[in-house]
Amino acid sequence: MEPLEHPNQPETAISLSGINLWFENFHALKDIEFEVKTGEIVVVCGPSGSGKSTMVRCINHLEQYQQGQVEIFGRSLANKKVASQIIRQDVGMVFQHFHLFPHLSILQNCTLGLIHIKGMEQSQADHKAKILLERVGVADLADKYPGQISGGQKQRVAIARALVMDPKILLLDEPTSALDPEMIKEVLDVMVDLAESGMTMVCVTHEIGFARKVADTVVFMADGCIVETGPAQQVLGSPQWDRTQDFLAHVVVNSPATQNKI
Amino acid sequence: MTQSSKQTQLKIFLPITARPPPGVADTWLARLRQQYFSSALSAALTVATLFLFYLLISPLVDWAIIKAVWSAADRRECYSISPDGACWAGIVHWFNNIIYGRYPDLEQWRINLVFIALVAWAWPIFVSRFPHKTLVFLSLWFIFPLFASYLLLGGTHNIVSQIFFAVACAMVIIIVACLVWLLLGRGLNPSHSSLMRLRLPALGLTVLAFACQYYLVLVPVETTRWGGLFLTLVIASVAIMMALPIGILLALGRRSSLPVIKYLSITFIELVRSVPLITVLFMAVTMLPFFMPNSVELDKLAQVLVAVSLFSGAYMAENVRGGLQAIAQGQTEAAQSLGMNYWQTMLFIVLPQALRLMIPNIVTSFISTLKDTTLVSIIGLFDILLMAKNMALDKKWLDLHTEPLVLIATIFFVLCYGMSQYSLHLERKLQWSH
Repeated sequence: MEPLEHPNQPETAISLSGINLWFENFHALKDIEFEVKTGEIVVVCGPSGSGKSTMVRCINHLEQYQQGQVEIFGRSLANKKVASQIIRQDVGMVFQHFHLFPHLSILQNCTLGLIHIKGMEQSQADHKAKILLERVGVADLADKYPGQISGGQKQRVAIARALVMDPKILLLDEPTSALDPEMIKEVLDVMVDLAESGMTMVCVTHEIGFARKVADTVVFMADGCIVETGPAQQVLGSPQWDRTQDFLAHVVVNSPATQNKI
Repeated sequence: MTQSSKQTQLKIFLPITARPPPGVADTWLARLRQQYFSSALSAALTVATLFLFYLLISPLVDWAIIKAVWSAADRRECYSISPDGACWAGIVHWFNNIIYGRYPDLEQWRINLVFIALVAWAWPIFVSRFPHKTLVFLSLWFIFPLFASYLLLGGTHNIVSQIFFAVACAMVIIIVACLVWLLLGRGLNPSHSSLMRLRLPALGLTVLAFACQYYLVLVPVETTRWGGLFLTLVIASVAIMMALPIGILLALGRRSSLPVIKYLSITFIELVRSVPLITVLFMAVTMLPFFMPNSVELDKLAQVLVAVSLFSGAYMAENVRGGLQAIAQGQTEAAQSLGMNYWQTMLFIVLPQALRLMIPNIVTSFISTLKDTTLVSIIGLFDILLMAKNMALDKKWLDLHTEPLVLIATIFFVLCYGMSQYSLHLERKLQWSH
């Protein structure tokens, strides 16, 4: 797929301002301020419990934040009706545990949204879904059911299912964390390919190798705050904060998989 | 040189041919021996059980078949022919009443026709390769009851034929709307085009409905004359048909985030579930009229149908809720991320999985609903049980209780066992994750 065309001044795709979110009394997100430009690849990393998944889920309106505002291409998600409209048109999401629909075949998983939300004819939807399945390399599994395929294949199907709706933004919430080392590579390859096609992506991941290779911006979070934001080289190469340095030392040492991956 | 000679010496691996596991008997005789006579204790148990069966079955066969009387004019004659055999002659004599109740003899073809139509109508659902199952299912749900009540009730000025009329009018409106849409030259999107494909059947049905309303008026048969197995099946199938939608709505209501809907659903479910069905029936039939204006005359059967439907709906709600709770939150989130709204998420993602999980419980509910319908005999509807009781009051067949009860037990067993077997078949068919 050829890169999407961008105007000279890339517009703001996602903007989060003053987001505060509590789970009961637990303050999970604190004063989050954060912007993503069109075509930008953002990798969000940080220790578990730092609120990175929660933040990404806010972008997709899966979490209700008590304060602040999320805007997608300048449109606020505050109104529930408008929010679902925007999500429908612009945002796709990939989850850590895939969440494929087990009662539908791989192909039906991908065509469901096209047929029932976009009102596409069955044959057209099938055709489109097959192109996407081909792109992520699982075209031969179209008639299987999610229970019959491996984790890496499931995640690639999940990516195809999100892409088939033509989102402008793709959110990935730890897409490789539930996978075996061997399967991580096949999913990362798809993600790299996507990143190179010019898709706007926000990806929560511990794959530092992936971040180094494709990320324009790395966001480091801890304890519900954004600690550090900047170009990948800067944040991963010469972090400004102790917390970031600690974390990177841990991740890079403990993740041999990333060394030979990318 | 040594390198290549080493390569040529490489051994070629051949897997050992698979052998059957040891000790599996291959003839039926050997299998029989292995399973039932493997040890002295096992053999003794087998023989003892067989003997017990013999003790139980032989008097039954003796009574029901060997010494039974099949034709006699009355019970006295039965006795004189064979004093300790079954008197099936009474059943034969009353058979028509046990099946059709007091439905007029000349009109009984209507019941048969409805039954045949039902089987023919529902047939495609059970044929695995039939393409438009949803359509058949929906028509069975919405159109068949109108057709059935037109035939079974007869007459013109009943509420059902008026509904039939209203539906016919609605169809005319749909057809006209489609035509106008087409004339205006607006592009048809898929949902409209599938609506268009329905225009011919809809037209046919409309014509038929009008014809039935004005020209093909059948002799009216009061619901008080309905009875027997026919009435039992009518009550059971209406209750079963209504239980699932009512149950699904109540279960969704109970999980709703809107407090009014949530607490209304909880109140309804808990209230109905904590009252015995017979109480609900009594309340529906004897107490409801007190709260109605005098001019409103309620049909007893209609009251019973509403009561039984709501009752089994409340039970079904808890089954469905159990299924809904078993579906991971992630499924809903994935559906929402695709842009589905609440109803789409429920319809396409959550309910199909939840109902599949709950098939055994749902069918158990259906079976108990079918058996519970016999309670309507207490409030004076002539269902199959009350017909049997009445038979024992007939002067010619006085006190003939056992035979009709055996017949009823057999009929119920066939129906319930059939449902249970179908549910097992359905479970196997709907397994996805293998």
